[in-house]
Amino acid sequence: MSASSAALERQIRPIYDALDTGSNKSAIVTCNKLLKKYPTNILLKALKALALIRSQKVEESLVLCDEVLESKPTHDGVLTAMMHVLRGLGRHNDMVTMFDEAFKKSPSNEELGCQTFFAHVRASHWKSAHLIATRMYKTFQDEKYLYWSVICAILQANDISTPPAMRPILFQLAHRLIQTSPNPSYISADRFHLHLSLLRQLGLYDEANKLLDSDVGKSICATNLSCDELRREIWQLQGKVKEEGQRAELLITEKRDRNWLEFLAVINATFNEEDSDLLKESVQKTQKIFTDIAAQDGLKDRSALLALIEVEQRAHERGISQSPPVSLMEEYFEKFGNKACCFEDLKPYVKSALGNDLSHWTSFLESKLTVPETIPALQEVINALKLIRYGLTASEITLESELKRVNQYAKLYFETISLGANLPSTELQPGDDLVLLAANALISAWKLSQSTSHLLTAINLLEFALTKSKHCFLARLVLIRLYRILGAPLPALEHYRALNIKQVQNDTLSHLVLSRASTFSLASMGDLTLSTECLEATQIYLSNSQETGDFIVRAFNAEKYSQIPEFIAFEDRLDTSLQRDSVKMEHLRMRLTHEPVNSDVIDMELIELKFIFDRVHHDNRDFAIFPNYQPNVSDSLNHQTLLFGKEEGFPWLSAFLKIYIRILQQASDLDDTVEEKLLIGDRPKPAAESVTRASLSERIQNFTPEELSTLTSEETKLVEYATSLSGWLGPYHDYARPPPSVVLAEAAKQTELKTGHPLKGIEVPPINGNGQHKKDEEPPAVVDAPESVAKHFDGIRERFETVKTSDSVVDLLHVATLAQEAFILLVTESTRFKSSSVVKMNKFGALATNLKDLKAAAQAVLKDISTELIKRGESFNNAEARKACVDASNTDISAYISHDFILNLAKKISDSRYKILEGVGKGIVRVIALHT
Amino acid sequence: MSILRPFKASDMFKFNNINLDIWTETYGIGFYLSYLSRWPDLCCLQEAPNGRLMGYVLGKAEGSGTEWHGHVTALTVAPEYRRLSLARKMMALLELVSEEIYKGFFVDLYVRCANSVAIGMYEGMGYSVYRRVREYYGSLGIGKGGRDEEDAFDMRKPLARDPHRRSIRPNGRDIIVSAHDVS
Ligand SMILES: CC(C)(COP(=O)(O)OP(=O)(O)OC[C@H]1O[C@@H](n2cnc3c(N)ncnc32)[C@H](O)[C@@H]1OP(=O)(O)O)[C@@H](O)C(=O)NCCC(=O)NCCS
Repeated sequence: MSASSAALERQIRPIYDALDTGSNKSAIVTCNKLLKKYPTNILLKALKALALIRSQKVEESLVLCDEVLESKPTHDGVLTAMMHVLRGLGRHNDMVTMFDEAFKKSPSNEELGCQTFFAHVRASHWKSAHLIATRMYKTFQDEKYLYWSVICAILQANDISTPPAMRPILFQLAHRLIQTSPNPSYISADRFHLHLSLLRQLGLYDEANKLLDSDVGKSICATNLSCDELRREIWQLQGKVKEEGQRAELLITEKRDRNWLEFLAVINATFNEEDSDLLKESVQKTQKIFTDIAAQDGLKDRSALLALIEVEQRAHERGISQSPPVSLMEEYFEKFGNKACCFEDLKPYVKSALGNDLSHWTSFLESKLTVPETIPALQEVINALKLIRYGLTASEITLESELKRVNQYAKLYFETISLGANLPSTELQPGDDLVLLAANALISAWKLSQSTSHLLTAINLLEFALTKSKHCFLARLVLIRLYRILGAPLPALEHYRALNIKQVQNDTLSHLVLSRASTFSLASMGDLTLSTECLEATQIYLSNSQETGDFIVRAFNAEKYSQIPEFIAFEDRLDTSLQRDSVKMEHLRMRLTHEPVNSDVIDMELIELKFIFDRVHHDNRDFAIFPNYQPNVSDSLNHQTLLFGKEEGFPWLSAFLKIYIRILQQASDLDDTVEEKLLIGDRPKPAAESVTRASLSERIQNFTPEELSTLTSEETKLVEYATSLSGWLGPYHDYARPPPSVVLAEAAKQTELKTGHPLKGIEVPPINGNGQHKKDEEPPAVVDAPESVAKHFDGIRERFETVKTSDSVVDLLHVATLAQEAFILLVTESTRFKSSSVVKMNKFGALATNLKDLKAAAQAVLKDISTELIKRGESFNNAEARKACVDASNTDISAYISHDFILNLAKKISDSRYKILEGVGKGIVRVIALHT
Repeated sequence: MSILRPFKASDMFKFNNINLDIWTETYGIGFYLSYLSRWPDLCCLQEAPNGRLMGYVLGKAEGSGTEWHGHVTALTVAPEYRRLSLARKMMALLELVSEEIYKGFFVDLYVRCANSVAIGMYEGMGYSVYRRVREYYGSLGIGKGGRDEEDAFDMRKPLARDPHRRSIRPNGRDIIVSAHDVS
């Protein structure tokens, strides 16, 4: 090393230190200083690019980044720094190219080979990753690389971008490769797993059996659940039901295995018999085995007794037993009725027995309804109540009977409340479920009567239960739903916060407060609480894109092949999460209520929404978490408590994306060719079948019946409005939009102004004259707005008058916020025609007048709505409203809860209603001001 | 009726009924993925036939020489599924794998000194206190339970590879170390 390079190295150290400690500013300063001395040093440039990107100075970083890439770096430090830069920019494809070229220059550098391989892995380039791994295996002779090449071929086969016809060929390739392995795959459980999964895929069962039947194979499956899972599948695919049953029986009888899968295997084998005499015989044999085990296990394990129920149930289905397994269910209840899971264990059997005569079962359960004196006895009563409720028939569910049940549940709750008095405050109370049962029945009563007083009672009970059982998260989940239905978003948010939702739970549970959150947004008033909540909830998607790839790489390094497809699937499920994009949609809807609509906003949002639109979404939302104790014949608690009774699923998202993409596209100057040139970073991979799809513009024009079915009637009106609006204005936008060359030239100018460097890779064609372009055609003649546009706000006024008299606060908010949204869409659509030069040049004078009138009419309606909302809000801001709220709740129950407690809740609800109505009302005026 | 099966990355979408309980922490996705990317065979869960998760265990193998052992990082069962021997079964699997696959000398775990339910359970399974670690759960501050809230017991159970039971000692509760001394 020369003296000067040693000196340079010493000087560079502090840059790394600064980067490590997050002092990006000082890293930049040091880089700049050293760059004066060593202006061509690539490592310094790479480090500076990294410091810049970490300080969010993307544009400046880009310039350096491109310079470094052009130099085709091979130096370790440069490559590593650039890896981070490019990852930060989402430019996986550039990273791949960089490593490819470096590796090409030093093909014997194994470490570099791995880095290159991983760059392809991160970009999901399975085909080229496969080729690199194959090459590395040849060069470095490490068996690991052979297995890498195998799994990459499999991953390529399973990739959405691979045409179906290619898939079998790839699996066969993987199979040929794995057979060349000098060592057998069973030397590691994960190689063995990979090998088996391939054989299963190809249906090569003989070969799989050979592996599985070997001693090593057996011993791997005995200790490795993943391999055993595969073995089970492979046996099943071969129809080896009997063998599986025998194997499982041994495990149960000799190894004391109590995995339910083993019991199921025995049961499946038992019923794998056509001849009815033989079947009877085999059922009896199995019953004998399970009866012995059940006797042996006693209260220690419930599996064998449950297995007996399952056997009898199936025997009944096959016609060899007269009745459903009711007496066994009763025996089970006697033994395990004091375990919380008893209800869930028996539910499926109650369900299949429904329709039969259940009177014996029901009277058995009713005989259990004594006043319990111990916690286990209480649990038993709760199970009995849940099971009775679950089995109710439609005729037994009336308003009157439900209210009777509410009293039954609540009374028992208060009578047994002392049983849990001595538990530590961190424990759940044993009677919590009674309150949840009462809440279920009250929600059902609300559905039957439409009277929200039942919801108020439910709130009183649930809130009370939380004072006794402060960690009862199930109560909070229901409360969140109820407060939203009642138009009181503040307490809903408080309970949500108390759940302490973290990390990946943001994906599965943020729907609780963020679905249709724009209904409750006060962003127009500058209160960004919900909007911020959206951003925070979406942090998890950033972590996913930054971290999960690292662990995929780690799994490759540690050769945990069983995990790699799982990690990839996990990454993909988060990346393409329905909740992620629904939150994005809500965030945009809120954003436009407090930010002016300009071309930056329009272009950025448009690009993002277009990405989202072509995603194949995954729904990871957790609705199973709700304590659903509704009768089997009823809707679930989740369905009953959806805001506006409408789910916010794929079709909902798709409908809103269509509205916004179409309108933003019209308002934007970016057409596809311009966007292609200006966009940095990678694009989503297209699915193999997408080639045959219609163009985006065609796909966003029509709404499917399924989409429309998930919209509220108000949202449907918005769709109709937006469709007519963009249909009407489309031709004028298309005519007036500047040609791509002009847009590009402008973008180049802006970039240069900002960064001092010209826009890379873009040749701006010369523009003649003053930047205006000549049109060959005449401008389209201006016609009046279609009826559905012109009369939209009149319709809103009418509907608002109707909901005004109902007592539903959310319905009022819904009409009001969607009216506001329709106005914002109109503003967005007409931005282009605000410029007088555009109007003049295109002879759009009549259009401009037309739009102005439309806006004025819309504003008039909005102002009236605003006034009304404020007035309505005021009506909640007084003692009478609170009193009305108190009076509305059930007196039988309020007898148990102090008046002050109920009054306090009433105040909380009224306050929140007042704030939201007043806020949205005043906000509307601000939205008008913002957009005019 | 519970199915014992491997913990998979996508189970993170399903563990709310377990993790909303206050005794169970929800970590960043990297935490779960780092365990799965190295010791997938030491991570398993119990699932009800209807697909609901009931509980899970996450473990790892670490240490050198005769300290090479299996470690229980997290063990949790959803409140509604407790006292069904689910924890016992998951621990049994973890011990089996620590013994047969990793050839460890023992299995160990940390438990809050105040968590008497868990301590009793582990003792019933053959674990004993090896040492008390000061302020292992420091973040909580001293609560009602005093030092027991923030100190941890390091509990161990010897495996077949340690026939002379050298990895444990009788007076572990009296051996006190600070949190810096343990990994
Ligand atoms: C500790 C915990 C994992 C136990 O799970 P579990 O599935 O209920 O335990 P098991 O049913 O397998 O119990 C095994 C034995 O432990 C003992 N035990 C468990 N819970 C007990 C309790 N609440 N009271 C008394 N003994 C108990 C019993 O001896 C039991 O055997 P038995 O039921 O045959 O008498 C569970 O309570 C839990 O998740 N707690 C919160 C998280 C936690 O504390 N984790 C441990 C941190 S290290």
